[in-house]
Amino acid sequence: MKFTEKLYDGFTYFDGGCGSILQAQGLQPGELPETWNVNHARIIQQMHFDYLLSGVNVLTTNTFGANPYKFGDEGEYSLKAVISAAINNARIAIEAVEKGVDLDGNPLCEEDLKLVAKDHFIAFDISSLGKLLKPIGNLDFEDAVTAFKAVVRAGVDSKPDLVLVETMTDGYEAKACILAAKEESDLPIVLTCAFDESAKLLTGTPPKAVVAMAEGLGVVAVGINCSLGPEQMIPAVEEIAEYASVPVVCNPNAGLPRSENGKTVYDVGPDDFAESMSKIIDAGAVVLGGCCGTTPAHIRALNIMSRSKTPSKITKKNHSIITSYTHAVEFDKKPILIGERINPTGKSKFKQALRDHNIDYIIQEGLTQQDNHADVLDVNVGLPEIDEVAMMVEVVTELQSVTDLPLQIDTTDPIAMEKALRIYNGKAMVNSVNGKEEVMEAVFPLVQKYGGFVVALTIDEDGIPDTAQGRIEIAKKIYKKAAEYGIDKKDIIVDPLCMSISAQPDSALVTLEAVRLIRDELGGKSSLGVSNISFGLPQRIIVNSNFFTMAMQCGLNAAIMNPNSVEMMKAYYSFNALSNIDNNCGEYIEFATSIPETTVVSPSGAAAGSADQVKSAGAGGANKDPLIEAINRGLKDRAASITKEYLESKESIEIIDGYLIPALDIVGKGFEAKTVFLPQLLMAAEAASAAFDVIKAKMNEAGGDSEKKGKVVMATVKGDIHDIGKNIVVTLLENYGYEVFDLGKDVPPELIVETAKANDCKMVGLSALMTTTVPSMEETIKLLHEEGVDTKVVVGGAVLTQEYADMIGADKYAKDAMETVRYAEELFAK
Amino acid sequence: MQEELTYPTTPLLVKADDLPIDPYEVLRYIGYRKDQVTEEDIKQVNERIKKARPFIAPKACYRRFNVLVKGDGYIELPYGEVLSKDLTRNLTGCDSIFMIACTIGPLYDRNMVKNRRISMAEASYLQAIGAAAVEDVVDILNKELERQVKEEGKTLKPRYSPGFGDYTLENQKGLFQVLAPEKFTGITLMNTLIMAPEKSVTAIIGIKN
Repeated sequence: MKFTEKLYDGFTYFDGGCGSILQAQGLQPGELPETWNVNHARIIQQMHFDYLLSGVNVLTTNTFGANPYKFGDEGEYSLKAVISAAINNARIAIEAVEKGVDLDGNPLCEEDLKLVAKDHFIAFDISSLGKLLKPIGNLDFEDAVTAFKAVVRAGVDSKPDLVLVETMTDGYEAKACILAAKEESDLPIVLTCAFDESAKLLTGTPPKAVVAMAEGLGVVAVGINCSLGPEQMIPAVEEIAEYASVPVVCNPNAGLPRSENGKTVYDVGPDDFAESMSKIIDAGAVVLGGCCGTTPAHIRALNIMSRSKTPSKITKKNHSIITSYTHAVEFDKKPILIGERINPTGKSKFKQALRDHNIDYIIQEGLTQQDNHADVLDVNVGLPEIDEVAMMVEVVTELQSVTDLPLQIDTTDPIAMEKALRIYNGKAMVNSVNGKEEVMEAVFPLVQKYGGFVVALTIDEDGIPDTAQGRIEIAKKIYKKAAEYGIDKKDIIVDPLCMSISAQPDSALVTLEAVRLIRDELGGKSSLGVSNISFGLPQRIIVNSNFFTMAMQCGLNAAIMNPNSVEMMKAYYSFNALSNIDNNCGEYIEFATSIPETTVVSPSGAAAGSADQVKSAGAGGANKDPLIEAINRGLKDRAASITKEYLESKESIEIIDGYLIPALDIVGKGFEAKTVFLPQLLMAAEAASAAFDVIKAKMNEAGGDSEKKGKVVMATVKGDIHDIGKNIVVTLLENYGYEVFDLGKDVPPELIVETAKANDCKMVGLSALMTTTVPSMEETIKLLHEEGVDTKVVVGGAVLTQEYADMIGADKYAKDAMETVRYAEELFAK
Repeated sequence: MQEELTYPTTPLLVKADDLPIDPYEVLRYIGYRKDQVTEEDIKQVNERIKKARPFIAPKACYRRFNVLVKGDGYIELPYGEVLSKDLTRNLTGCDSIFMIACTIGPLYDRNMVKNRRISMAEASYLQAIGAAAVEDVVDILNKELERQVKEEGKTLKPRYSPGFGDYTLENQKGLFQVLAPEKFTGITLMNTLIMAPEKSVTAIIGIKN
């Protein structure tokens, strides 16, 4: 029987703990357990053998930590050597038991063989690389995939029956591992993650999000292992079983470990373990085994207990789900809001941001929509004059590091789509496929490989049908084609399209009818880009918001819309309250009591509240001028509005020199005198920045370029990821009117040199927190000199001292942000 | 208890709500002297602590080892011999140690990354709150370890981390090798010797006879 068949044939038993058994056998601290595959092969084989006698179907190889960071390419303990030995050890144990003999070839008696299972499989065990992926750690997603690929390649020749990806605490790393296994082998893949006592991964991901992502990637079974005892795992197993269409795995520890007389003790013995596992079976798990602290005795007891139990039926689930790294969004009763603002169509500012590579602007668009309660962010960065593929990858990477909303990858370029789906941390929404053969053949293979929830537009080679029924036919065609790629109807959301009623008077009616038919006839999900409906009409928002309500009433599951529009949100919240999908009208009340009189929710509205409460920096005594006062107190909105007033009677430069800079000087001096603290200094900087933005806007209006005092490159040097200090300096320098090329953190010397050269920057600021990265700073300075760049280098950071600065050839050591600013003022005054 | 097995590293369950997070401590990290703190400051910080708490997911683990203080600054630690006069001073009179690792988890880093985009001021508060929170995790673990050794009539020395005095950061490598905190706490060591998540602490705690 194949492993994938066995999964659906009664219970499947995995083995139990390995590391804990090896420690009992004398594995030393710091010794790599995988070396025992080679130098203590017999002990490993004996462990496998004992598990087989306990009734195990699936042996997991002793390769938990076998990865390229711990094992090299050559020698007795190469990656390949430890992995092939591990698989071989499992095979030797299986062969012995199947022959009915022990490891020395002596026949086993019937009693010994009583529990032995009929079918045996070898699971090639792969776990975490022991490094965190970006943005928290410094491991690149593709580097993780490459490392896992090396692991998989080292094992496939030894012909295991499946790959077990286990004890994953980060869904993103699990994705890297599964992709590697898919790309380097045809083996079935099982994923088990280590959920903690709150039933979440370390990264905050709940079980249903893991299930959605894993099934999208095509695993044959999914579940939980390690970290908890069986009792504590019940809630997570229940949630997995509720959402998984594949068999559910549960491999718990032997309870929770605690310390007793200097020893760590797992306090769940075999009988208690079996009793708890009985509840795990009731919760829906059909693949059962153990992890840390469990022994053959535990598995034996589990095996005997389960003989009186009936395995849960494995049924296909119909949840339409997308995920981010922290949560799942389900398309069900409540309409899902997909924020449309990250899209250049018809937005000149956004287009300019794309051309200028202004990622910050794009990210802000995302964060504003999140503040205004979008559920999903659409990401479209296509512009003919830019490299869409590179931009898509960068924007998705940056967005998913700052927002926890799932993303909708919106592109017609299959390469951009593939790259984005690949690096996406979770299961993404895909926008879009349509009824054209060519498009389906380009998009569906990507969804098949990476998973995804696909928007299907009802248009094909013959255009958009005039009737609702015509559009339904295209939807059916798309469902059918998707099925050929193994993509289920639940992972398709049909967009029946809306054309402007100004051009086609019955357009809204046809679209609404199609939405209804998608729900009632197809039993499918529907989505619309609602704003098209009003194209060519005045006051479009009136038509849009009412059409939105009508569509929701017809069963619309999702809308691509502008969540920053109060009118749209009015329609949304009142519809939910009226349809009894807003508990006690709670969300409606919260919304209705928060909206301002304007028609657009102010993006900075939320931040202003907290800033209002900031105490006065008070450094310069009584500041009579309200703008200086507002900046000193860190009041962003107030600083901006006063600046607007001042601009009516004062010149821009007068406001900058006469108010903004003096205000910053006051807090800066206060900071140096330790009467103002970092957060207040920064709040003041942010308030000044808000004021400056107003001035900038006015200048742009007037057509003039804002006057910059000079160009500066700022970077946290290579190898260092601590950028808070550098960011402070950047903010202050910008406020003082410098053009800053902020290269971020972990920046290679070459990039710094290149940027300084290309932009003729007279000052380069380098920051480092760690002593270990000071050499990297030195290297950067050396390269600047070698390349003959005419610039002064100012250095700073926690470990830097005047002595260090002199030693590495810096022109200036700045002990804090203000000192850097003063140095710039001196330097550029010359 | 029916089965007993040894396992090198023991996790300790700590909940985010168990961390006191003293606002004075947070303000101290920001740079305040105690006499500069006003009621308003405390209110401000407490509000921010409340907002930060959902992002805190503490994890802690420890393991006990034997240790040999050889004199002349040489110490036989479980990962090899180390020369450190400062650590020698700290461990005088100890023949065993705990190695510990504590963190407030990766979600907190995520939140800081996000806030650095939105407001550096908020990010700097988060920085200080995170520092205070991870110290609280260490304190909770320290109390548990104190309890354990008290039964043996022993006491604990102040904890000592790689990077303190002449006990170099390089020692993180050895500590990670024998404690292996990745699996229990998710704390990882980057090749720069910086830990990720950022708000993490590793240390040695001497057990005094």
